[in-house]
Amino acid sequence: MLATQLKYDLLMFWREIFYVVFTIVVPPVSYLFMGQLFGEATYDGSLNYAETYTPSFILLIAFGVIFFAFGFEQVTHRTTGIEKRITLTPVPKRMLLLSAILKSIILTSLGYFLVFSIGALVYDLQFHLIDFLASYGFFIAMNAVLLVLSSAIYSFFTNQNSALVFSIVIFQLVMISGGFTMPIELMPKFVQTIADFNVIYHMNQLFIAIWNGQLEWTGETILSGSFIAIVFVLSLCILRLKQSK
Amino acid sequence: MTVVEAQDVRKSFGSYDVLKGVEFQANEGEIVAVIGKNGAGKSTFLEMLMTIQTPDAGGIHLFGKELHCLSINEKEQLRKQISVVLQPTQFYKTMKVYELLKLFQSYYDSTKDVNQVLAEFHLEPYRRTYFDKLSGGWKQIVSLAIAFMSQPRLLILDEPTTGLDPHMRNMLWNYITDYNKRMGGTVILTTHNMDEVELYCDKVMLLNNGIAEVLDTTERILERGYRSIHEFYLQNVTV
Repeated sequence: MLATQLKYDLLMFWREIFYVVFTIVVPPVSYLFMGQLFGEATYDGSLNYAETYTPSFILLIAFGVIFFAFGFEQVTHRTTGIEKRITLTPVPKRMLLLSAILKSIILTSLGYFLVFSIGALVYDLQFHLIDFLASYGFFIAMNAVLLVLSSAIYSFFTNQNSALVFSIVIFQLVMISGGFTMPIELMPKFVQTIADFNVIYHMNQLFIAIWNGQLEWTGETILSGSFIAIVFVLSLCILRLKQSK
Repeated sequence: MTVVEAQDVRKSFGSYDVLKGVEFQANEGEIVAVIGKNGAGKSTFLEMLMTIQTPDAGGIHLFGKELHCLSINEKEQLRKQISVVLQPTQFYKTMKVYELLKLFQSYYDSTKDVNQVLAEFHLEPYRRTYFDKLSGGWKQIVSLAIAFMSQPRLLILDEPTTGLDPHMRNMLWNYITDYNKRMGGTVILTTHNMDEVELYCDKVMLLNNGIAEVLDTTERILERGYRSIHEFYLQNVTV
């Protein structure tokens, strides 16, 4: 049952142009485009473009997949009556959830290897096994956080159109204030303030550090980790509250 | 054998009392119509039988089991014996008809061959058609094919023929009556089409302002002097 559900969940993802464009196409294309513009620049004193932006764009794909193909899709199913129809079958809810989580992990991992491959081929990105494995572990943990976060956020939507507008706006907001386009330090003050409250920005900073084997337990790192943890717990509480209702 | 039994079922949404003590019974092999004006509580009542709504008071027994006492797992098991067709019919729009049948087959552990189902429901020409591209009538046929695939003991249909042309309506009813005769399955449905009630249903429950005012066989209702179920409806439903 799980294999069949997962097979069709993946198939449906690839057939939805909107999801594919925003998750699998836009981030790698932006990664290549930005590389042409800023490929020679140095970041944080010692990191080159690929070392900084490869983890960033991997995270952007994860964000896109989870917010569009998991969170937004929940709203679509809820508002079109599909959720109700599925509820009326004997299929356990945990099985559907497991399939959706596996789908997200498979697609985001595909994004992980896609961006890494582009980085290796185009920008001569180096492969260090330990850093690569540590990064993948962190990436999977961030997948879990994003899944819970998107479930909590999209649980508030009862209208597909408002969820769509929200998704597009949040994608732009995350692109700009998450450190995906240019370093936040170079952005106006108000964008820097938004970034402080953007959980994806904090994930991005930690991910870049882990990717390059530079993670140190500084005040900034602890702040980012704590912020992610607080958002995660808050999202879990919202989901529990919604479920009990 | 009694398949569904409801006793003094009550349900309110806020201050609005939708159901005010409904009594209902459906036996094995019966086709029962639940009729009433819009907002009479028909769909709410059906959703209780589908196990996705719970009554505020009163009890519902399905196949002899009190729904209120069942755990989530037991409800999932019970749903293996029930199939539904909702109005409007909605499934994953980017799935093809064949794929939808395969997916639902896995939900029910059904051993019924999907190709056989496609043939039985004349869906062979549409097997590679996306569900979203089908006409309203064919969507309803797909929904019915999915419902029958699990060979349920109880079939619940919420306004199954609304918006269908006469040919499609006829086709749909042929499947329903055939299922009823061949498998002895029980059918409970809501409809606004009184001709269909008179033609195909064994029993009628009239819901009026949240109360089941009449629950009787179509024959006995007509013996009361009504020329048709349509006339019975018009004379008994308060606007």
